[in-house]
Amino acid sequence: MKAILVVDDEENIRRLYEDELTDAGYRVVCAANWDEARQALEHGRFDLVTLDIRMGEGPDGIEALRLIKELHPGLPVVLVTAYGEYQADFGSWAAEGYVVKSADLTELKGRIARELGEPAP
Amino acid sequence: MPELRKDPILGRWVIISSERGKRPSDFTLPQDRRKEGGFCPFDSGNEYTTPPEILAYRDNGTDANKPGWKLRVVPNKVPALQIEGALDRVGEGMFDKMNGIGAHEVIIETPDHDATLASMSPKAVEDVLWAYRDRIMDLKRDLRFRYALIFKNHGIVAGATLEHSHSQLIALPIVPKRVREEVDGALTYYRYKERCIFCDIVHQELEAGSRIVCENSEFVALAPFAPRFPFETWILPKKHDSSFEDASPKQFVALASMLQETLRRLDVVLENPAYNYILHTSPFREEDNEYYHWHIEIMPKLTKVAGFEWGSGFFINPTPPEEAARFLREARIVRP
Repeated sequence: MKAILVVDDEENIRRLYEDELTDAGYRVVCAANWDEARQALEHGRFDLVTLDIRMGEGPDGIEALRLIKELHPGLPVVLVTAYGEYQADFGSWAAEGYVVKSADLTELKGRIARELGEPAP
Repeated sequence: MPELRKDPILGRWVIISSERGKRPSDFTLPQDRRKEGGFCPFDSGNEYTTPPEILAYRDNGTDANKPGWKLRVVPNKVPALQIEGALDRVGEGMFDKMNGIGAHEVIIETPDHDATLASMSPKAVEDVLWAYRDRIMDLKRDLRFRYALIFKNHGIVAGATLEHSHSQLIALPIVPKRVREEVDGALTYYRYKERCIFCDIVHQELEAGSRIVCENSEFVALAPFAPRFPFETWILPKKHDSSFEDASPKQFVALASMLQETLRRLDVVLENPAYNYILHTSPFREEDNEYYHWHIEIMPKLTKVAGFEWGSGFFINPTPPEEAARFLREARIVRP
């Protein structure tokens, strides 16, 4: 079973992603900030990370992306955000993709499947 | 007493407010924390994270989009304007519009993550200038474009999102209003006096000396008479030259040296400030003229543009340019 780390500071979003991605057949671990994400990455094996950009505590998503790519080269990261201004940040180029944050996870699931080399859901 | 000074090219007024604090140490510099460590899309070895390169200066025998480069130019992954398509200019009642066509490119100036233009080798800085020139020459062949704006944001507070040294180029289907005003201001002066206003500025400033920062055989760095910002510094060719891309190899060597020396002086005096610089050159299709004179404007990010500036078009500058030039001129810099 492929494992996904969901990093988002909003509890409702984490719950939604966990329920839907678990139903889609993935093992899901959630982190509310970079510290929790770092610990999860240290102790577990993941196939993909979904990463919120604006997080209340600690490094923001772009900085977390730099750290993830430094510590875990080759681990695909999909940025998930409701804000467009991150696009001007060249740091975001390190991500494999991004999707607009939405309660409908069709696009996110499609992007995850693509990055993991699976057929589209 | 504060002094109102008029920019002779644009007619723009600035308030030189020397009471407000003028020494370099008087500026409360905005925090510009350099990000430490982490993955950088512009580093050598991470070429796969960028769009395919448009131009690269690389070692013989190395493949495109692989390590072995000295400088790369890549399209912006999320460009402000799109390269494909027609302009389709249309009127909508009294309003005008066209498709957002343009080129948005990133010049990755060095594979060394920690290098800056001030610290690179002179040859590496010269390569950056050649890359500007090569991209302008290429984009000029696209008849949709009227201007190539080249700029650099250095430091987070100056708008840089990555600390890895880079510049940007945006080719536009129109001549920007700010550029048009400057070219037209120079043309008005030329019609009146039959001389280039920038040539006159260079001549007068070299004679007076009080606003000169440094000079070499080809270029002079000076504080303009009516600068918008403290320590604003311009680099101009001493001899008349209307377009940057027509500069000679000898001039590029001299410009690389002048640019580095100026940035090093700013680094010493202002403790490595964030800055923006902008290359000002003639618009496409009027490159060869006697009235405009290309130059580089460097603006350290020391003050904020706020309501008064937006509302009036005036700028308040707390450092007289004569003082700024003196601090920069007297800075003890380490030459490589």
